[in-house]
Amino acid sequence: MRIGDFKETYAADEAIFRTPAVRAWMGALGAAMLVFPFVAGDYLLYLANLVGVMIIAALGLNILTGFTGQISLGHAAFVGVGSYAAAIGATRLGLPFYLCIPLGGAAACVAGTVIGVPSLRVKGLYLAIATLSAQVILEWVFSNWDSVTGGIRGINVPPATLYGVPLDTDFRVYFLIYAVAAAFTYSARNLFRTRVGRAFIAIRDRDIAAELMGINLFRYKILSFMVSSFYAGVAGAVWVYFAKVVTPEYFPLSLSIQFLAIVIVGGLGSIQGTILGAIFMTLVPELLKAGTEAVKPFFPDAMSYLFPLRDILFGALIVGFLILEPHGLAEMWQRVKRYFALWPFRS
Amino acid sequence: MGMWKRIVAATGIAAVFALAAGGALAADDVIKIGAAQPITGRFAFAGVSINAGLQDYINYANETGLVKGKKLVYIYEDTGYDTDKAVATFKKIMAKDNPVIMYGDSTGLGKAIGPELNSRYKVLYGSTSFSSELADPKIHPYSFVSGPTYSDQFGILLEYIAKNHKGKGKPKVAFFYSDTEFGKDPIPYARKRAKELGIDVVSEIVTKVGAVDVTTEALALKKTQPDFCIFQGYVLAPIPQVIRTVRDYGMKTTFMGTFWSMDTSIIDKLGADAEGYMGVSPYAYYNEDAPGIQAMRKYNVKANPKEKSRPNSYIQGWFTGMVYVEAINKVLAAKKPVTGDNLKDAIGKIRDWDTGGVTGKVTFVNNKAAVGRVYRANVAKGIFEPVSDWIYVK
Repeated sequence: MRIGDFKETYAADEAIFRTPAVRAWMGALGAAMLVFPFVAGDYLLYLANLVGVMIIAALGLNILTGFTGQISLGHAAFVGVGSYAAAIGATRLGLPFYLCIPLGGAAACVAGTVIGVPSLRVKGLYLAIATLSAQVILEWVFSNWDSVTGGIRGINVPPATLYGVPLDTDFRVYFLIYAVAAAFTYSARNLFRTRVGRAFIAIRDRDIAAELMGINLFRYKILSFMVSSFYAGVAGAVWVYFAKVVTPEYFPLSLSIQFLAIVIVGGLGSIQGTILGAIFMTLVPELLKAGTEAVKPFFPDAMSYLFPLRDILFGALIVGFLILEPHGLAEMWQRVKRYFALWPFRS
Repeated sequence: MGMWKRIVAATGIAAVFALAAGGALAADDVIKIGAAQPITGRFAFAGVSINAGLQDYINYANETGLVKGKKLVYIYEDTGYDTDKAVATFKKIMAKDNPVIMYGDSTGLGKAIGPELNSRYKVLYGSTSFSSELADPKIHPYSFVSGPTYSDQFGILLEYIAKNHKGKGKPKVAFFYSDTEFGKDPIPYARKRAKELGIDVVSEIVTKVGAVDVTTEALALKKTQPDFCIFQGYVLAPIPQVIRTVRDYGMKTTFMGTFWSMDTSIIDKLGADAEGYMGVSPYAYYNEDAPGIQAMRKYNVKANPKEKSRPNSYIQGWFTGMVYVEAINKVLAAKKPVTGDNLKDAIGKIRDWDTGGVTGKVTFVNNKAAVGRVYRANVAKGIFEPVSDWIYVK
């Protein structure tokens, strides 16, 4: 049982993983993630990879929306910019993946900076509309700038190769995705221990107060857009190596909304929540589907009613979460942890 | 024993029987066909019927013993018409059941799964898609298109126009298509083919899917006065609005559609404006009297007595089943094992195959069967009637 948590050095005070128990659990998680691809089948690996990409992209949106308080409906388009930049880098320029991934991030970062400019003037719903226009414009560019994006047919991308080994299966690409995801989760966690991260939070909590404290709103809002879209771009680039094809149809508005749903369901302003949200939003529909598949043999005629039912159920689950736990999955997780901290001595 | 206990016990017994029944069929006697079907999502209007058509044909083939000594097993799951979910579904079915044939819900799935289809899965892959991109044996050797691609469908219509145009001078044609993969797919080929056939493409109009206000587009048609206007990339909207507006201008343009805007249901939806509406269909309709269609109707009377009519997407699914069975029988006749590689090669060898009038004589070249027929709406009867013979294009 944990009684106290005394810190005797500054290093201990600044540590991300503060107690031996947390470190042990994180170690166990890391080990489990390393073992996972060796035991999981194709289907689970594919879903895990999907979750990994979603985590990177949603972290970006949480930095912008959850930590800086700037809403964005154009996140999917930034993911798209990263995807296209990486795809072009990989095919036309013949760059290796370790250059294409930062290239994707950089391209999205530039796009994000431009889109972020109006954020000084407009807030809230108005900013939502401004970023929505970015989504629409970029989507149009993807499908109509044929000479660069390949138009509606998109670009086929060869798999990434590392020391001559092509990362062409879900198993191999898993390590790429989760290496990037781990690095970016770590950086996001650290970001909010720095001056920049704290400035973001100050802007979110009260922008006028933040400005009075000497935070340059414009600079930090733009910076938040840059970081956020860099994350999106990297997610897009990693996605390209995973999907091996990029077409405009991959980045619709509904994907932007899905990212928003991930950060809201997971917990605004929580790194852990983003991860839980990405897992929830990707796996729950699959679980619900598995449920309907299981009862399918008993109602062979009702499938056209049964299948849409799970979308309704999924929607109901999200609404239920928002009502019962507005702070998202992250808060639920904290509650579970608090309960077990004293278990079994308190019920 | 409580109600729940009884249900659990019954399920358990049923499961044991199901397992026993499954085990009784030796693996050699079973050929598995998997399908990632768009039963929900925005393609569900066709997905449900495609699934029914494919499933019904497989049942029909089992009942009538079309594949000797083998039982076909159909495994399908819903994808929601979402590429990520479709890929997940594909991999799930492959991991769980390892079929030798797969069916996919979209062009997107075909493209996304393409590289792994070639390098790992190596199964025969049919799909809902008529995209010319999937009919490229160099990039997608395991895929085939169950009929003519959109380009071929345009080719058939243009050939028909070139032959049957009665007015003076070159026929004037407009292409009216949506700003999507589905809309733009055949356009480059159609431009080229029109030039070869001496047809003037007087205007090309691009809109969003489901655009409601089409005044500008209709005015563009008025300005160029085309004899024919071919829609591509729509299922319904904005086709009725365009036809209505253009008729209000007093124009006599003949409107034409390709597969997805050629289901019989469009005649009801167009009402009186359906008069003279034409288009290309890769397959015969459910009301026709070809022996292959009669067999389909007979099966439905027995198996699905509630279904009085079936849309063209049902026939697409049914025909895809026919292609699968034909390929399997070709492989078996050659005394080879039923594998994706052998099935793929067998498809390439299908020549002048008689489908009993479900479509024309089928020859697969470049992984597609480029045959179709031009139909015209008969508003009084509410059906499409053929106005040409089967047209073969290259």
